[in-house]
Amino acid sequence: MRAWRPALVLAALSVVLAACGSGTSGTTTTASTAPSAGPWSFTDGSGKVITADRTPTRIIAHAGEAAALMSFGIKPVGIYADESVKTDANLKDLDLTGIEILGQEWGKIDVEKAAALRPDLIVGDWWPAEKAHSGLEEGVDEKSKKLAELAPVVGVSQGKSIVDLAKGYEDLARSLGAEVDSPGIAANRERFEQAVAAFKEATKAKPDLTVAAMSPADDKLYVANPEYAPELLDFQRWGMRVINPDTPDPGFPYWENLSWESADKYQPDLVLWDGRSFKPTSNAEWGRKQPTWFKVRAAKAGAVVAWPAYWLHTYGDFATELDKLTAAVKAADPAIGD
Amino acid sequence: MSSSAPVARRASALGPGLAALCVLLALVAFLSVTLGSRSIGLPEVLRALGGLDQDGSITSTVTLELRVPRTLLGVLVGAALGVAGAILQGVTRNPLADAGIMGVNSGAAVFVVIAITVLGVRGAEVYVWFAFAGAIAALVLVYAIASLGREGATPVKLALAGAAVTAGLVSVTSGIVMTDVDALNELRFWQVGSLAGRYAPILAGVAPFLVIALIASLGFGRALNGLALGDDMARGLGQRVTRTRTAAFAVVAVLAGAATAACGPIVFVGLVVPHLARFICGPDYRWILPYSMLLAPIVLLLADVLGRVVAAPDELQVGVVLGVLGAPAFVGIVRYGRLSEA
Repeated sequence: MRAWRPALVLAALSVVLAACGSGTSGTTTTASTAPSAGPWSFTDGSGKVITADRTPTRIIAHAGEAAALMSFGIKPVGIYADESVKTDANLKDLDLTGIEILGQEWGKIDVEKAAALRPDLIVGDWWPAEKAHSGLEEGVDEKSKKLAELAPVVGVSQGKSIVDLAKGYEDLARSLGAEVDSPGIAANRERFEQAVAAFKEATKAKPDLTVAAMSPADDKLYVANPEYAPELLDFQRWGMRVINPDTPDPGFPYWENLSWESADKYQPDLVLWDGRSFKPTSNAEWGRKQPTWFKVRAAKAGAVVAWPAYWLHTYGDFATELDKLTAAVKAADPAIGD
Repeated sequence: MSSSAPVARRASALGPGLAALCVLLALVAFLSVTLGSRSIGLPEVLRALGGLDQDGSITSTVTLELRVPRTLLGVLVGAALGVAGAILQGVTRNPLADAGIMGVNSGAAVFVVIAITVLGVRGAEVYVWFAFAGAIAALVLVYAIASLGREGATPVKLALAGAAVTAGLVSVTSGIVMTDVDALNELRFWQVGSLAGRYAPILAGVAPFLVIALIASLGFGRALNGLALGDDMARGLGQRVTRTRTAAFAVVAVLAGAATAACGPIVFVGLVVPHLARFICGPDYRWILPYSMLLAPIVLLLADVLGRVVAAPDELQVGVVLGVLGAPAFVGIVRYGRLSEA
């Protein structure tokens, strides 16, 4: 009984919705003066096609996704971020006036405030490893998950490439009626292409250079698994030898967890340090604090550089970050880790 | 004569038993230095311990800077938690007493969280002092509340005050971490209870307190035997009940406070080991205290070594291992053992 009663209700509802849908689509065909009014559809990162009778205009978006939409001139009505919008890598330089801030820490969204905005679309990345959208993953506040009840949720997949991600948000912006070929956007893409070319050239000049993406923590050393970090897959595609950890945590495959006793398991020539926690003083600090951190020879030699971990969404940001990495590759010594 | 014979035999067996436990503890400590998430051959460990490895190789760093402090900390913290639990169970005549239900963990957690949010400090080596202060503050508060009223800090009032203070402090902690995810993340690391990530500075910081308090604690055997008969009987035997209880609490505050400060809340050791000791020694606290002092670090170190070996090159926190193994062990003691009331 308990299993099929909701199914029945759902079936009844869908009949009603279908009726509504056909009704409105009928009116739009006649009113051809408003081409962007709908119906609207977008293929979500999960593979599901999300449809609406009218093109959404009142959008609530997660931090980086909001920044991506704003780069195409689409201003969300509300934003939820994983940290203060003043420090968030995607948001800190943007003008957020007139946008309601619905959350400034991971897992906490003020859904009541969100409901008051009457959103017709929620935008958050799709995370294939967790099979959830940003802000609705396992472990967030149960109350936050109610955000998904306010409007359909769509997002581009944090899949195999940031280029796909950026392109996906361009497609989403276009579907929402944005102008995606303005000169500013074209300039960013140009800059991005140059940055990729320079990066490829730098890695090609040092074919033996290996890197590992790491995040040191008090109790353990975490080594990132490129398979679930699209930007690391991009780096690999462009000739950088990012080490694939051999036993990622089965429950949370973004990382392999190393005890500090095993900190020297991987010996890259250059350490890519989780950019969310990296400061210029970090390396010296951890060398002092963790007796085995400097057993990673690259760390001891100071060959560390911040890596834009899990936050890139636009060509512009990617270009800026790539340029820094290119400089680090040029300065790196491919013999340190051997 | 027939009634005193078993007691005499027991005492004559308990002395050598204590010596055997010392040997066992040394053995477990040796295991803790030689086994870990990194496999290091015995000769290399011995070379490092002998100071022969001056080359700064990772095997000598891991042995000398990671495993040796970790093992020593495990010995001291384990002994402190075991003895603190035994004393608390005796003083409060409550078989479920341990440092946790007297507010120690919650007090330490509140101070750590306040240090993170209000003072903005970070790092295990700073938390240790806040946690220490918090643990002692909580115990003092519990004891002060329980002491209100004419008859002083009776076991029942202590248990109630401990529960009340714990509840209050826990709600303060969750109130703060609800609004500050950064504090939550930091607290999460601290709150599991682990011997990992604690090195020489932390060991050197808490060791003097623990050593002095451990020595002092051994003097409470006779007094606890008296208290076990009930406050009135103890008074009748000429004991100053209030003074004994205050002194015992002071020692427990230092023991449990320093242990929790160094490693975070570690469960079950303080609760289960005194029962184990009582199971072996009978009701005489003059034996229960030293037995707890040796049994507890054996249990703690074994759990820690297990956590290091099963998940290599990753590690399980000792708090997790103890939780998983401790619960069934305690059920076993309750079911088959003689869970005495004091």
